[in-house]
Amino acid sequence: MARLNDDAQWIVLMGFIVSFALFFLAIVISQSTVVGQTTAEAVLEFPKNDIVNVRSEVFSASALSSDNLTRVKNDISSLSLSRKNAIVSFRISEAPLGSPYNKTIEIHYNNGVTAYDETTSH
Amino acid sequence: MVNTDGQLFTIEGVAAGLIMLMTAYIIVGTTSLYTPGDSHISDMQLEQMGTDALRMMNIPNSSATSGESTLQKVIKNNDTSQFSQTFLSFANKRTGGIDDNLQFSADYYYRNNLANSVNRIHFTESRIPTGGEHAMRVTQWVQVDNSAGTMPAGVDTRVQAVLVEVLVWRD
Repeated sequence: MARLNDDAQWIVLMGFIVSFALFFLAIVISQSTVVGQTTAEAVLEFPKNDIVNVRSEVFSASALSSDNLTRVKNDISSLSLSRKNAIVSFRISEAPLGSPYNKTIEIHYNNGVTAYDETTSH
Repeated sequence: MVNTDGQLFTIEGVAAGLIMLMTAYIIVGTTSLYTPGDSHISDMQLEQMGTDALRMMNIPNSSATSGESTLQKVIKNNDTSQFSQTFLSFANKRTGGIDDNLQFSADYYYRNNLANSVNRIHFTESRIPTGGEHAMRVTQWVQVDNSAGTMPAGVDTRVQAVLVEVLVWRD
Protein backbone atom coordinates (compact mmCIF):
# COMPACT_ATOMS: atom_id res chain seq x y z
CA MET A 1 0.00 0.00 0.00
CA ALA A 2 1.37 3.41 -0.97
CA ARG A 3 2.22 5.69 1.88
CA LEU A 4 1.48 9.40 1.83
CA ASN A 5 4.68 11.06 0.65
CA ASP A 6 5.42 14.55 -0.53
CA ASP A 7 7.64 13.83 -3.52
CA ALA A 8 6.86 15.23 -6.97
CA GLN A 9 4.48 17.96 -5.82
CA TRP A 10 5.68 20.25 -8.63
CA ILE A 11 4.86 17.64 -11.24
CA VAL A 12 1.34 17.22 -9.83
CA LEU A 13 0.82 20.99 -9.72
CA MET A 14 2.00 21.43 -13.33
CA GLY A 15 -0.32 18.64 -14.35
CA PHE A 16 -3.24 20.51 -12.82
CA ILE A 17 -2.27 23.80 -14.48
CA VAL A 18 -1.91 22.25 -17.92
CA SER A 19 -5.21 20.40 -17.69
CA PHE A 20 -7.10 23.55 -16.61
CA ALA A 21 -5.50 25.50 -19.46
CA LEU A 22 -6.74 22.88 -21.91
CA PHE A 23 -10.16 23.06 -20.30
CA PHE A 24 -10.48 26.82 -20.86
CA LEU A 25 -9.19 26.55 -24.43
CA ALA A 26 -11.89 23.97 -25.09
CA ILE A 27 -14.53 26.43 -23.80
CA VAL A 28 -13.24 29.10 -26.19
CA ILE A 29 -13.38 26.69 -29.14
CA SER A 30 -16.90 25.57 -28.28
CA GLN A 31 -18.10 29.21 -28.21
CA SER A 32 -16.56 30.02 -31.59
CA THR A 33 -18.93 27.74 -33.48
CA VAL A 34 -22.09 29.60 -32.41
CA VAL A 35 -20.90 33.19 -32.42
CA GLY A 36 -21.55 33.79 -36.14
CA GLN A 37 -25.06 32.40 -35.88
CA THR A 38 -26.18 34.49 -32.92
CA THR A 39 -24.80 37.61 -34.59
CA ALA A 40 -26.65 36.83 -37.81
CA GLU A 41 -29.89 36.18 -35.91
CA ALA A 42 -29.60 39.52 -34.14
CA VAL A 43 -28.91 41.34 -37.40
CA LEU A 44 -31.86 39.69 -39.15
CA GLU A 45 -34.22 40.51 -36.31
CA PHE A 46 -33.33 44.17 -36.08
CA PRO A 47 -35.25 46.20 -38.73
CA LYS A 48 -32.35 48.47 -39.65
CA ASN A 49 -33.11 48.53 -43.36
CA ASP A 50 -36.82 49.14 -42.75
CA ILE A 51 -36.17 52.16 -40.57
CA VAL A 52 -33.54 53.63 -42.89
CA ASN A 53 -35.89 53.13 -45.81
CA VAL A 54 -38.97 54.64 -44.12
CA ARG A 55 -36.85 57.58 -43.05
CA SER A 56 -35.60 58.34 -46.54
CA GLU A 57 -39.14 57.98 -47.89
CA VAL A 58 -40.47 60.45 -45.32
CA PHE A 59 -37.77 62.96 -46.17
CA SER A 60 -38.52 62.79 -49.87
CA ALA A 61 -42.26 63.04 -49.10
CA SER A 62 -41.69 66.27 -47.20
CA ALA A 63 -41.34 68.07 -50.54
CA LEU A 64 -44.86 67.09 -51.64
CA SER A 65 -47.93 69.32 -51.71
CA SER A 66 -50.29 68.86 -48.76
CA ASP A 67 -52.89 66.82 -50.71
CA ASN A 68 -50.29 64.41 -52.03
CA LEU A 69 -48.59 64.30 -48.65
CA THR A 70 -51.79 63.14 -46.92
CA ARG A 71 -52.26 60.34 -49.42
CA VAL A 72 -48.62 59.26 -49.35
CA LYS A 73 -48.78 59.29 -45.55
CA ASN A 74 -51.76 56.94 -45.67
CA ASP A 75 -49.97 54.77 -48.24
CA ILE A 76 -46.97 54.36 -45.97
CA SER A 77 -49.06 53.66 -42.85
CA SER A 78 -51.37 51.12 -44.53
CA LEU A 79 -48.67 49.29 -46.44
CA SER A 80 -46.37 49.15 -43.40
CA LEU A 81 -49.13 47.69 -41.29
CA SER A 82 -50.25 45.09 -43.80
CA ARG A 83 -46.88 44.08 -45.27
CA LYS A 84 -44.28 44.82 -42.60
CA ASN A 85 -46.31 44.37 -39.39
CA ALA A 86 -45.10 47.78 -38.28
CA ILE A 87 -46.89 50.88 -37.15
CA VAL A 88 -45.44 53.84 -38.98
CA SER A 89 -46.67 57.39 -38.71
CA PHE A 90 -45.05 60.70 -39.35
CA ARG A 91 -45.89 64.36 -39.21
CA ILE A 92 -44.36 67.21 -41.13
CA SER A 93 -45.01 70.67 -39.76
CA GLU A 94 -43.72 74.17 -40.28
CA ALA A 95 -40.82 74.99 -38.01
CA PRO A 96 -41.61 77.53 -35.28
CA LEU A 97 -41.18 81.20 -36.04
CA GLY A 98 -37.58 82.35 -35.72
CA SER A 99 -36.19 78.86 -36.23
CA PRO A 100 -33.40 78.62 -38.82
CA TYR A 101 -35.13 75.56 -40.29
CA ASN A 102 -38.11 75.27 -42.62
CA LYS A 103 -39.77 72.09 -41.44
CA THR A 104 -40.00 69.83 -38.45
CA ILE A 105 -40.36 66.13 -39.16
CA GLU A 106 -41.49 63.60 -36.56
CA ILE A 107 -41.27 59.90 -37.36
CA HIS A 108 -42.67 57.04 -35.30
CA TYR A 109 -41.86 53.41 -36.04
CA ASN A 110 -42.83 50.39 -33.95
CA ASN A 111 -42.92 46.77 -35.07
CA GLY A 112 -43.66 45.33 -31.65
CA VAL A 113 -40.03 44.52 -30.91
CA THR A 114 -38.19 47.63 -31.98
CA ALA A 115 -39.48 51.17 -31.53
CA TYR A 116 -37.93 54.18 -33.15
CA ASP A 117 -38.88 57.83 -32.73
CA GLU A 118 -37.20 60.77 -34.32
CA THR A 119 -37.72 64.50 -34.46
CA THR A 120 -35.69 66.37 -37.04
CA SER A 121 -35.64 69.86 -38.43
CA HIS A 122 -34.44 70.73 -41.88
CA MET B 1 -10.61 0.86 9.46
CA VAL B 2 -10.06 4.54 8.76
CA ASN B 3 -6.50 5.69 8.17
CA THR B 4 -4.84 8.70 6.58
CA ASP B 5 -2.97 6.90 3.80
CA GLY B 6 -3.42 7.83 0.16
CA GLN B 7 -5.05 11.25 0.57
CA LEU B 8 -3.10 12.80 -2.30
CA PHE B 9 -4.03 9.91 -4.57
CA THR B 10 -7.68 10.30 -3.67
CA ILE B 11 -7.68 14.04 -4.35
CA GLU B 12 -5.86 13.50 -7.64
CA GLY B 13 -8.27 10.79 -8.65
CA VAL B 14 -11.33 12.99 -7.96
CA ALA B 15 -9.79 15.96 -9.81
CA ALA B 16 -8.84 13.83 -12.81
CA GLY B 17 -12.35 12.40 -12.91
CA LEU B 18 -13.91 15.87 -12.91
CA ILE B 19 -11.55 17.07 -15.65
CA MET B 20 -12.38 14.09 -17.83
CA LEU B 21 -16.11 14.58 -17.34
CA MET B 22 -15.97 18.27 -18.21
CA THR B 23 -13.73 17.66 -21.20
CA ALA B 24 -16.07 15.01 -22.52
CA TYR B 25 -19.01 17.42 -22.07
CA ILE B 26 -17.26 20.17 -24.03
CA ILE B 27 -16.12 17.83 -26.79
CA VAL B 28 -19.69 16.62 -27.29
CA GLY B 29 -20.82 20.28 -27.33
CA THR B 30 -18.35 21.33 -30.03
CA THR B 31 -19.47 18.75 -32.55
CA SER B 32 -23.08 19.99 -32.96
CA LEU B 33 -24.04 19.83 -36.63
CA TYR B 34 -25.61 22.69 -38.53
CA THR B 35 -28.87 21.66 -40.10
CA PRO B 36 -30.26 23.51 -43.14
CA GLY B 37 -32.60 25.39 -40.77
CA ASP B 38 -29.61 27.02 -39.12
CA SER B 39 -28.80 29.13 -42.15
CA HIS B 40 -29.04 32.56 -40.58
CA ILE B 41 -25.56 33.56 -41.64
CA SER B 42 -26.20 33.11 -45.37
CA ASP B 43 -29.71 34.59 -44.91
CA MET B 44 -28.20 37.73 -43.45
CA GLN B 45 -25.78 38.08 -46.35
CA LEU B 46 -28.53 37.49 -48.90
CA GLU B 47 -30.82 40.05 -47.29
CA GLN B 48 -28.08 42.66 -47.18
CA MET B 49 -27.13 42.02 -50.79
CA GLY B 50 -30.73 42.30 -52.03
CA THR B 51 -31.41 45.42 -49.97
CA ASP B 52 -28.24 47.05 -51.26
CA ALA B 53 -29.14 46.24 -54.87
CA LEU B 54 -32.62 47.77 -54.45
CA ARG B 55 -31.24 50.80 -52.65
CA MET B 56 -28.73 51.41 -55.42
CA MET B 57 -31.58 51.26 -57.91
CA ASN B 58 -33.53 53.78 -55.83
CA ILE B 59 -30.83 56.47 -55.87
CA PRO B 60 -31.67 59.36 -58.21
CA ASN B 61 -29.64 59.37 -61.39
CA SER B 62 -29.12 63.14 -61.39
CA SER B 63 -28.86 65.86 -58.79
CA ALA B 64 -31.79 67.81 -60.30
CA THR B 65 -34.77 68.05 -57.91
CA SER B 66 -36.89 66.19 -60.47
CA GLY B 67 -34.23 63.52 -60.92
CA GLU B 68 -35.88 60.11 -60.75
CA SER B 69 -34.18 56.91 -59.71
CA THR B 70 -34.05 53.87 -61.96
CA LEU B 71 -36.50 52.10 -59.66
CA GLN B 72 -38.98 54.99 -59.81
CA LYS B 73 -38.81 55.05 -63.63
CA VAL B 74 -39.12 51.29 -63.88
CA ILE B 75 -42.23 51.15 -61.66
CA LYS B 76 -43.78 54.20 -63.24
CA ASN B 77 -43.33 52.95 -66.81
CA ASN B 78 -43.92 49.29 -65.93
CA ASP B 79 -40.56 48.50 -67.51
CA THR B 80 -40.07 44.92 -66.32
CA SER B 81 -37.08 44.07 -68.52
CA GLN B 82 -35.12 47.08 -67.30
CA PHE B 83 -35.80 46.07 -63.69
CA SER B 84 -34.70 42.52 -64.32
CA GLN B 85 -31.54 43.58 -66.10
CA THR B 86 -30.48 46.18 -63.50
CA PHE B 87 -31.31 44.09 -60.45
CA LEU B 88 -29.50 40.99 -61.69
CA SER B 89 -26.50 43.03 -62.72
CA PHE B 90 -26.28 44.75 -59.31
CA ALA B 91 -26.82 41.55 -57.36
CA ASN B 92 -24.67 39.17 -59.35
CA LYS B 93 -21.61 41.10 -60.55
CA ARG B 94 -18.43 40.42 -58.66
CA THR B 95 -15.12 42.23 -58.69
CA GLY B 96 -13.52 39.20 -60.30
CA GLY B 97 -14.26 35.66 -61.34
CA ILE B 98 -17.57 34.30 -62.50
CA ASP B 99 -20.87 36.01 -61.64
CA ASP B 100 -23.01 34.99 -58.70
CA ASN B 101 -26.32 33.31 -59.51
CA LEU B 102 -28.99 35.07 -57.47
CA GLN B 103 -32.54 34.79 -58.74
CA PHE B 104 -35.48 37.00 -57.86
CA SER B 105 -39.23 37.37 -58.02
CA ALA B 106 -40.55 40.93 -57.65
CA ASP B 107 -43.97 42.23 -56.60
CA TYR B 108 -45.14 45.58 -55.50
CA TYR B 109 -47.96 46.64 -53.23
CA TYR B 110 -50.05 49.79 -53.57
CA ARG B 111 -52.96 51.31 -51.72
CA ASN B 112 -56.25 52.15 -53.39
CA ASN B 113 -57.19 55.53 -51.97
CA LEU B 114 -60.97 55.22 -52.46
CA ALA B 115 -61.39 51.72 -51.04
CA ASN B 116 -58.40 52.09 -48.71
CA SER B 117 -57.34 48.58 -49.70
CA VAL B 118 -53.87 47.16 -50.18
CA ASN B 119 -53.35 45.36 -53.47
CA ARG B 120 -50.53 43.44 -55.05
CA ILE B 121 -49.15 43.57 -58.56
CA HIS B 122 -46.75 40.89 -59.66
CA PHE B 123 -43.99 42.73 -61.42
CA THR B 124 -41.45 40.33 -62.90
CA GLU B 125 -39.13 37.46 -62.04
CA SER B 126 -35.89 35.97 -63.30
CA ARG B 127 -37.19 32.47 -62.55
CA ILE B 128 -40.58 31.30 -61.34
CA PRO B 129 -40.18 30.14 -57.73
CA THR B 130 -41.21 26.54 -57.11
CA GLY B 131 -41.63 26.98 -53.36
CA GLY B 132 -38.58 24.92 -52.54
CA GLU B 133 -36.17 27.83 -52.62
CA HIS B 134 -34.73 29.25 -49.45
CA ALA B 135 -35.64 32.82 -50.29
CA MET B 136 -35.25 36.09 -48.40
CA ARG B 137 -37.69 38.96 -48.73
CA VAL B 138 -36.21 42.40 -49.28
CA THR B 139 -38.25 45.57 -49.62
CA GLN B 140 -37.90 49.12 -50.80
CA TRP B 141 -40.27 52.09 -50.60
CA VAL B 142 -40.66 53.92 -53.87
CA GLN B 143 -42.43 57.19 -54.43
CA VAL B 144 -43.94 57.26 -57.91
CA ASP B 145 -45.95 59.85 -59.76
CA ASN B 146 -48.63 57.99 -61.70
CA SER B 147 -50.41 61.14 -62.89
CA ALA B 148 -49.92 60.03 -66.48
CA GLY B 149 -51.51 56.64 -65.74
CA THR B 150 -48.62 54.59 -67.11
CA MET B 151 -48.82 52.00 -64.32
CA PRO B 152 -51.11 48.96 -64.72
CA ALA B 153 -54.89 49.49 -64.55
CA GLY B 154 -56.27 49.70 -61.03
CA VAL B 155 -53.44 51.79 -59.61
CA ASP B 156 -54.56 55.28 -58.61
CA THR B 157 -53.44 58.02 -60.98
CA ARG B 158 -51.67 60.14 -58.37
CA VAL B 159 -48.42 60.59 -56.53
CA GLN B 160 -48.08 57.60 -54.22
CA ALA B 161 -45.75 55.45 -52.19
CA VAL B 162 -45.57 51.81 -53.25
CA LEU B 163 -43.73 49.01 -51.49
CA VAL B 164 -41.55 46.91 -53.75
CA GLU B 165 -41.01 43.41 -52.38
CA VAL B 166 -38.44 41.13 -53.93
CA LEU B 167 -37.85 37.48 -53.07
CA VAL B 168 -34.16 36.72 -53.52
CA TRP B 169 -32.59 33.30 -53.50
CA ARG B 170 -29.36 31.73 -54.60
CA ASP B 171 -29.84 29.11 -57.25
